[in-house]
Amino acid sequence: MSTTLEALINRPYEYGFVTDIESDAIPKGLSEDVIRLISKKKNEPDWLLEFRLNAYRHWLTMTEPVWANVSHAKIDYQDIIYYSAPKPKKKLASMDEVDPELLRTFEKLGVPMHERKMLANVAVDVIFDSVSVTTTYKEKLAEVGIIFCSFSEAVQHHPELVKQYLGSVVPSADNFFAALNSAVFTDGSFCYIPKNTRCPMDLSTYFRINNAESGQFERTLIIAEEGSHVSYLEGCTAPRFDTNQLHAAVVELVVLDNAEIKYSTVQNWYAGDENGVGGIYNFVTKRGLCKGVNSKISWTQVETGSAITWKYPSCVLLGDNSIGEFYSVALTNHHQQADTGTKMIHIGKNTRSRIVSKGISAGQSNNSYRGLVKISAKADGARNYSQCDSMLIGSACGAHTFPYIEVMNSTAKVEHEASTSRIGEDQMFYFASRGIGGEEAVSMIINGFCKEVFNHLPMEFAVEATKLLGLKLEGSVG
Amino acid sequence: MSAVMKAPDVRDAYLASLAPDVHSLAGPGPEWLNALRAEAAACVNSQPYPTTQDEEWRFTDFGLLRKTAFASAADISLEVSLADIEPFVLPESEKSRLVFVNGIYAPHLSACAGLPQGVVISNLAAGLPLHDAVIRTHLAQQVDFHNEAFAALNTSHIRDGALVLITKDTACPAPIHLLFIATGADMPQANYPRCLIIADAGSTCALIEDYVCLNQGVYFTSAVSEITLGENAAVEHTRLQRESLSAFHMAYGAVALARGSNYTAHNIAFGARISRHDLRIKQNGEAAQCTLNGLALISGRQIADTHTVMDHTKPNGQSTQLHKCIADGGAHAVFNGKIFVRKDAQHTNAAQQSRNLLLSNKARIDTKPQLEIFADDVKCAHGATVSQLETEEMFYLNSRGLDALTARNLLIYGFAEEIVDRIPVTSLIKQLSKTLSEQILEHT
Amino acid sequence: MISSNSKVILEVRNLSASVAGIEILKGINLTVRSGEVHAIMGPNGSGKSTFSKVLAGHPGYTVTGGEVLFEGQNLLELPPEERARNGVFLAFQYPIEIPGVSNSAFLRLTYNTQQAHRGGEELDPLEFNDFIQEKCKIVEMDPSFLDRSVNEGFSGGEKKRNEILQMAVLDPRLAILDETDSGLDIDALRIVASGVNKLMTPDNAVIMVTHYQRLLNYITPDFVHVMRRGRIIKTGGKELALELETRGYDWLDDEHQKAASV
Repeated sequence: MSTTLEALINRPYEYGFVTDIESDAIPKGLSEDVIRLISKKKNEPDWLLEFRLNAYRHWLTMTEPVWANVSHAKIDYQDIIYYSAPKPKKKLASMDEVDPELLRTFEKLGVPMHERKMLANVAVDVIFDSVSVTTTYKEKLAEVGIIFCSFSEAVQHHPELVKQYLGSVVPSADNFFAALNSAVFTDGSFCYIPKNTRCPMDLSTYFRINNAESGQFERTLIIAEEGSHVSYLEGCTAPRFDTNQLHAAVVELVVLDNAEIKYSTVQNWYAGDENGVGGIYNFVTKRGLCKGVNSKISWTQVETGSAITWKYPSCVLLGDNSIGEFYSVALTNHHQQADTGTKMIHIGKNTRSRIVSKGISAGQSNNSYRGLVKISAKADGARNYSQCDSMLIGSACGAHTFPYIEVMNSTAKVEHEASTSRIGEDQMFYFASRGIGGEEAVSMIINGFCKEVFNHLPMEFAVEATKLLGLKLEGSVG
Repeated sequence: MSAVMKAPDVRDAYLASLAPDVHSLAGPGPEWLNALRAEAAACVNSQPYPTTQDEEWRFTDFGLLRKTAFASAADISLEVSLADIEPFVLPESEKSRLVFVNGIYAPHLSACAGLPQGVVISNLAAGLPLHDAVIRTHLAQQVDFHNEAFAALNTSHIRDGALVLITKDTACPAPIHLLFIATGADMPQANYPRCLIIADAGSTCALIEDYVCLNQGVYFTSAVSEITLGENAAVEHTRLQRESLSAFHMAYGAVALARGSNYTAHNIAFGARISRHDLRIKQNGEAAQCTLNGLALISGRQIADTHTVMDHTKPNGQSTQLHKCIADGGAHAVFNGKIFVRKDAQHTNAAQQSRNLLLSNKARIDTKPQLEIFADDVKCAHGATVSQLETEEMFYLNSRGLDALTARNLLIYGFAEEIVDRIPVTSLIKQLSKTLSEQILEHT
Repeated sequence: MISSNSKVILEVRNLSASVAGIEILKGINLTVRSGEVHAIMGPNGSGKSTFSKVLAGHPGYTVTGGEVLFEGQNLLELPPEERARNGVFLAFQYPIEIPGVSNSAFLRLTYNTQQAHRGGEELDPLEFNDFIQEKCKIVEMDPSFLDRSVNEGFSGGEKKRNEILQMAVLDPRLAILDETDSGLDIDALRIVASGVNKLMTPDNAVIMVTHYQRLLNYITPDFVHVMRRGRIIKTGGKELALELETRGYDWLDDEHQKAASV
């Protein structure tokens, strides 16, 4: 590989700083007592404690999955702090009373917490370690009946909704990490879009892990009632530590008749250093249920961070004519490992799904696409189109494609295509010979490669994503 | 023997019941062969019976096999006459045919007269005294019987088999027909056919490995074929599985490609109640080429599973694969194709296509084409489709006056024929095309 | 058009270069003045493609000796993008495909980069659209090609026309056409050649690297150089190309050896 390219793909992580803030953390370790403690701290109703304990008891009987194309040292689940919150000085009356250190942290991360300072029309829920720090635009959204708040708040104020939908898409015993999350989740975001309401602004959650020893186990639940529409964004960063932190989130989406959720993620957890030391283990279960007829879920993700990513945002297409989409860019560098993709489970008639996955591997990283398209026996007229492209930068990395296609209905039509390309000396020279320098050439090639996915991101996020890939791949030209 | 002792014993009673008894392991053959069989027998005991819990067996449940006890086949080859096998005889291979009845060599049905110098086609037992060193170097070297229970089972049963040796720069003038006949006797029997094919540097040959039956009985074929290609050798290998619709067929193929060699395979599966074919091809030298064509046409309650691994380990290799499945009735077709492009395999060009036709609502198709790429300067693509007959195509034929049924059959025929037509033996294409049309008609 | 007073654009002195440790160019000398068309011919493996890549600055080649002056400036010390911005253009023998990047976006970026370098005016997408429509006519290219990804899925002829379109956009002082005629049918050859002819001015120059004489039927060279084993062993006028067509290259070897032994 040319030195230019090498220089281009080795740029340091910009969000690796630690916020010096006093935190209220419980001791390391996991037991029923710890779960009771978390539940008590959050003043939860009994049914929720029961939900947690059931999940925990089931989790104890489960083993970590080993089928993913990733490898890591054994995780010691007793060596993790399951609850860590920035200590509030007193009860907050307004945003102005948020710890200035926290405010500075999020300003630095480009997440404005002051509504008046916000550039875009985006409401933000900010999660710092285990708890939600603040949610903006809450009142404005409430005017149209939209509930957007932290998960803890939803448990207090809208227990009937939480009880009805929690675990309805990802059951607490779904898989090892989902069970763990169900037992210990501390906070997250909750959105409820009432009937025939189009959410007037994008909703967004920003996740930050700060404590070196804590895990983050957030839970997101979004419900789109009949005829509603919402666009939701999430972003994540973490400081640079030389130990690994576990992030095991669960996201559940429920979409009723004629409703739509568009869910976009830009994931930039700390990925570890160039030798693969440190970084987040990102083991996430995201699933949406297209429950109603003509419902639609669209997942868009840009995955650039984490030491290991294990994530398959999925759609269960239950309602007739429902639509599932998955657009993904996954970039791995150095020693990162990503095993990501989607599951499209077609159950309703005339259901449609579309998968566009772009994997970029550099350094010594391994990038895998793993996707399931399942057409059940009753899913007459189901259609799927999948396209999985890989790009390799350098010869020490790996790109893998594992599509699973299972068809039990003869009226189905399923198509899968995959290809591999590279950025190498010849490509760079072609640009150079037209006067275009290294950085610009790489960014143009990458953006061209990812265009189909970026087109599906909300405007502000698309800009951020492009910049992020740039940060990951650009640097001084050698 | 120490390796044998160390292997964990997870003995599966059913597998063990199929393994040869201890006394028969010390056969009349050379000492090394007895040792190999003993080692394989130990491997049968050190591996669990594959279930759908194993990723590699997720879709193919061989549980049904366990419900039947199979006795090792007895030699009844003399009960089969030339007239019995007449429908399968290929005029192109009249002087290059080996016939096995229930896995046992049948000299009176075979014909290997007047072969040119440098071409050896014989049964393994007869070839051993003459070619001991070559056979010892290659036998059971490609197939991974330490990790595949059924490959171990077959290896533990090696007594005889088909041996093809083509020496350096020799072109075998006629296609070699290896005909494995199952009599489908009253008692369920287990057959263990084995093939060893060695094509030395610069040699060429065409092979037909053919599994047929005389009666639609219940029996079990556990087959292993190993093929080694020397530098610049070319082998075109047609493999036909047309077993009884009540039979079980489990086969392993392992192919090693040296620099510049060229291997082409046509794998056709029509028969068996449950069949599985595992094919592993390894490019051990630069610029080796490989073409894999596959077709499974099944209906009723048949299950046909094809697993292929194309392993590019050296630069400038090329592989092209087209696998087609047609599933009708309540049949279940499975395709799992892996392409590895290892770190050193720069400038590899690999393409894989899985095309599937699902003709009935009770049928099922699972396909999993996989790419694992560790080299950056390569061109790799794969694709998979599962669909039914195209409305547009149907309409086109209807508009030319064909009724729906005729149009349907014609399109299915065309879909399958694309693979059959690639077989290099004319009489075989005719045979198969006929079977194809009959089979399609039968299912309508 | 040519006079010895014309300005020297390119001066190659005793240039040698190697790839992966093997010396391919073994002392090339060449002077190109404005308004001139030079053809470099030679059999496969003579080093002519290497020569064109070395001039454009391909990183796979190492210059082991000699010098190259482009408009009086040391060309060899510049990275390839600087050479391009200064007016050296290489039409690739095998143009690279760039999926997802539209031809028009690519062309506009190259044009604006060039303009910024020259202190000229950059064009917004609308202005550029008018500009590029005109340029398309030079190579008889359907404007729909502008919306497609760069070279992706283009036929051989379309790729070569796209190269000449880029040449039209960048308006180089020195254009090096590397086997631009290879893989072209006669119509495409005519279009490409006429495009090049339209772009010729008294102020620029062209080096055509080619294996065959047929491109020279359309673009008339002022000089024909024959390369053999990394050296220019003979230089002549356009009649030399015809002679090569009928006699092949071998006779030159003898002649060259004779000359060398004298």
